[in-house]
Amino acid sequence: MINIQSGIPGFDQLTVSELAEGGIPEKSTTLIYGPPKTGKSIFCNQFSYSGLSNHEPCLYVTTDNGIKQVQRDMMDFQWLIQNYIQDQTIYFIDGISHLSGAKFESKNNIVSSSVSNPADLMVKVGLGTRNVYKSSNHFRSILDSLNTLFAFNPNQMVIRILKAYLRRITEAGGTGLIAYTEGITDPRTEKELISLFNNTIRLDGKYINIESDYSDFNEVQNFESAYTITDNGIVVNENNF
Amino acid sequence: MIPRIESGIPGFDELTSSNNGTGGIPENTATLIYGPPKTGKTIFTNQFTYKGLINEEPCLYITTDNGYKQFKTNMDEFNWPIEKFLDSNTLYLIDTISNVSKGKPSQSESYIPSYINNPTDIMVKVGSGVSYISKNNHRFRSIIDSATTLLAYNENMLIIRVLKAYLMRVNEAGGTPIIVYTQESADSIVETMLKSMVDNIIRLDGENLYIEAMKGIGKHSSPYKMSGSGITL
Repeated sequence: MINIQSGIPGFDQLTVSELAEGGIPEKSTTLIYGPPKTGKSIFCNQFSYSGLSNHEPCLYVTTDNGIKQVQRDMMDFQWLIQNYIQDQTIYFIDGISHLSGAKFESKNNIVSSSVSNPADLMVKVGLGTRNVYKSSNHFRSILDSLNTLFAFNPNQMVIRILKAYLRRITEAGGTGLIAYTEGITDPRTEKELISLFNNTIRLDGKYINIESDYSDFNEVQNFESAYTITDNGIVVNENNF
Repeated sequence: MIPRIESGIPGFDELTSSNNGTGGIPENTATLIYGPPKTGKTIFTNQFTYKGLINEEPCLYITTDNGYKQFKTNMDEFNWPIEKFLDSNTLYLIDTISNVSKGKPSQSESYIPSYINNPTDIMVKVGSGVSYISKNNHRFRSIIDSATTLLAYNENMLIIRVLKAYLMRVNEAGGTPIIVYTQESADSIVETMLKSMVDNIIRLDGENLYIEAMKGIGKHSSPYKMSGSGITL
């Protein structure tokens, strides 16, 4: 088992086990979920930035906030990504900016799509995956978040898009992190959703709960700890648990 | 550092002040104000609106609960006269309800009628309202009072999409939007969705004001009271 650095202080130490060093299992898929405003997007951005600063490319699908907003949110934590946009280490698919009425400036690695057009979104994910894969056979992929997709499409459609997305990125060697706000779909859909992932991370505002399914070893690992959101992002503080 | 704008609510800016001393509502972020009925949500937003107007920050106000007449009466009660701001077009009012009741004034440059049961029309008018206001101002405030009525008249997920588009537009133009919502007036999926769409969440329960989330600061709370001059923490 190979794990990659999460970039979240305390997280990699917490997730050490006899099967693997700590971190996020490479080429696996992780759902990060929990109630609103518990730090899911911050976690995603921190994970993405950690990869970028280690020269690991990132395919970032943003559906809740436009690229400008994502960049601004990251700047609040001093995670500056302008250079990575310029040197094309990060590849953005923006599924929401079209709603803002502003003109969208496409580039090689900044493309526009629409949360209400899943077919187009999947085409763009295909292009994006190939583009990122060309430069590296391992990369990080963020989808933040499923919320807006659920608001604009029938539930089962979102599940299908998600399955296709997860398959695509894992086939290309990507490590996927997907955000979802607990409680915005019915319990059945939510259960089905959670079952699609190798790992889940739940944030409830105070505690972080990690569940990793190492199916090759027929083992499920659980980790739990307190966490806080600081000016430098999320910090997992094992001692305070 | 996140710039903040004055709320106009005595005590609020102190409660929300961050390490570097400034408090208020984070500029160009979205806020949800919710709580049970009659806890002062509308008063809070009107006070916020009026503070902006006297600071020469225009306001795009979408009223779905009270028609123009009732809105004006509500403001007058606290001695927040709005007529001159309507005349100077710094208050841009989209009134979606006066058509249903009676007593709507005639359409003007900044008084725009719409229809509560026609979200498409509301969005078109929000679009032109945002362009109108942001043409000459890079900062402005915007209110929807309330999402509850929109949800009551329309399919829920449609309104979630409308509100998402609204927030995207106001945000892009540099505005600071507030959405008012009566707690438990829609199912929990809608309520969670609303919370997930905004940056800041403020809950009023009649006795205490809770900052459940706010960009740059953690959770805070304070008792408050309502008087003839509005809400005071």
